[in-house]
Amino acid sequence: MDPALAVHQLKKVYGSSAKPFVAVDAISFSLKPGEILGLLGPNGCGKTTTIQMLLGTLSYTSGSIHYFGREFPLHRADILQSVSFASTYTSLPYSLTVEENLHSFGLLYGLSKKESTKRSDPLLERFGILSKKKQKVSALSAGQVTRLMLVKAFYIEPKVVLLDEPTASLDPDIASEVCAFLQEQRNKTGLSILFTSHKMNEVTALCDRTIFLKRGKIIADDLPLNLAKSVANFRIRLTISDGMKRTIALAEKQNILYRIEQRMIQLSLEEKAIPPFLNALILSQVAYTNIQIEEPSLEDYFLHIAEKTL
Amino acid sequence: MKLRRILGVFYRYYYILLKGPQQLSDLFYWPFIDILLWGLTSVWIQSQNPGDAQKDLPLMLLTGLIFWQITWRGSIDVSLSLLQEFWHRNLVNLFSTPLKITEWAAGVILLCLCKLCITVCFGIAVVYFLYSLNILTIGWMFFPFAVSLLIFGWTIGFLAASAIIYWGHQVETIAFMVGFVFAPFSAVFYPVSVLPMWTQIISWCLPTTYVFEGMRSLLTSGTFPLTHLWISLGLNIVYLFLSFSLFQRTYQKSLTKGLARLE
Repeated sequence: MDPALAVHQLKKVYGSSAKPFVAVDAISFSLKPGEILGLLGPNGCGKTTTIQMLLGTLSYTSGSIHYFGREFPLHRADILQSVSFASTYTSLPYSLTVEENLHSFGLLYGLSKKESTKRSDPLLERFGILSKKKQKVSALSAGQVTRLMLVKAFYIEPKVVLLDEPTASLDPDIASEVCAFLQEQRNKTGLSILFTSHKMNEVTALCDRTIFLKRGKIIADDLPLNLAKSVANFRIRLTISDGMKRTIALAEKQNILYRIEQRMIQLSLEEKAIPPFLNALILSQVAYTNIQIEEPSLEDYFLHIAEKTL
Repeated sequence: MKLRRILGVFYRYYYILLKGPQQLSDLFYWPFIDILLWGLTSVWIQSQNPGDAQKDLPLMLLTGLIFWQITWRGSIDVSLSLLQEFWHRNLVNLFSTPLKITEWAAGVILLCLCKLCITVCFGIAVVYFLYSLNILTIGWMFFPFAVSLLIFGWTIGFLAASAIIYWGHQVETIAFMVGFVFAPFSAVFYPVSVLPMWTQIISWCLPTTYVFEGMRSLLTSGTFPLTHLWISLGLNIVYLFLSFSLFQRTYQKSLTKGLARLE
């Protein structure tokens, strides 16, 4: 089966040949049907440039983009019938009502007014903005506009959705609702989603796979947890009731990084080193009243990459 | 081209039209003010020189005015529709749909035709009620005149849109300026013969000149040189093709820098 999206050696160079700026540097990846793929990286790494190229609103210097096995620029209109987009950073005509916007957009995808209403009403209700249907977009809050953008992206019943930071302006509860909706849509319709976000916990929870971009290049393509583990240790927090000095001695002996805050010690160590260390504590008759073990997160990976970039 | 996508563009601007007092003023207010000012001016000039030579002056000036509205309407509708997308930060949303640039242009032109019918009917009615003059006295020739002027309006509109889609906000005043660049050379209110010789060459290269000269000939002598109409339509076809090709080319060129930068 053809991937929903296949990107091969995609490159975007701005500027003259004398002073070129490579925004996206020969990246290749694919998006399987039903997959949610996270596209991450520090600001200026090429995420938005990549999405713009995938939408056809920015031409690429070299490489190729195929949707459903068909070359994008050659079959642009047919392909975009099944590809939609939402971003916090674009808007909709603010002097039009929600309903008018959805009607005129629906026509661009071949939907009659009746079909547009039939498809969009349940989504408007799901996102809590059905009551705003007759209101102008200018009367909506930033969060409501973002939700309307999501309705716009989904009511055309796409096969691929490109989402550029769709939850950036949303309150945590609504953002969580949006993530649940994305999961549900994927499970129900088998659509594929390319997702960019700066909220690493969201990406970890939502994405099947994550691609990390840095200076226009893909530097990692893996499961979110694997990426996190590749740069960060587990963190153990122990509240020591007896034996702090012995704990410190053990940590130093095993070259484990630690930090002390009153009766609490925080240690940073690899996953496989945790059981032997806890055993050693027991053997040294260290008593602790509380233990917390924290997995490395995608945020650790992101910070690691960003630090290197700086 | 898909009809529904063309209708999608039509409805988008139609809804904006209904909401915007500025757009409604373009349809009614400004044509009314123009007719009032120019009509009163020509009536006054006629009263100062009550000879035969000035007999048709009010009708000529007001017909010229209504006709120039057709070109202006065609021009501004194309470029202003594009600017609406800039102002609404909607360019990426719009062109990331299956919409083709030709369908966008067709939708804009369709709405332009509707708006034009309204403005022209309104203008003719105002002239009739204020000055008891019937612009339709030129008969069936009104329609090919109007078509020719309208096509040139679109040509100017696509020229302006080419600059706007490439350079963005910094040149948006072009939308309002470019039409008037052609007005002095089009001999809207005076014959080409009053222009200096070198500008007459430019004038005869414009399809609008043939229409306005023909209109004056029709009003004064009752005859219209049909060759004027054919030359005008011929030039229009060539210029519209060139102008729209330029727009398509600059749109493609603009994609190399990305539409997102224009929002």
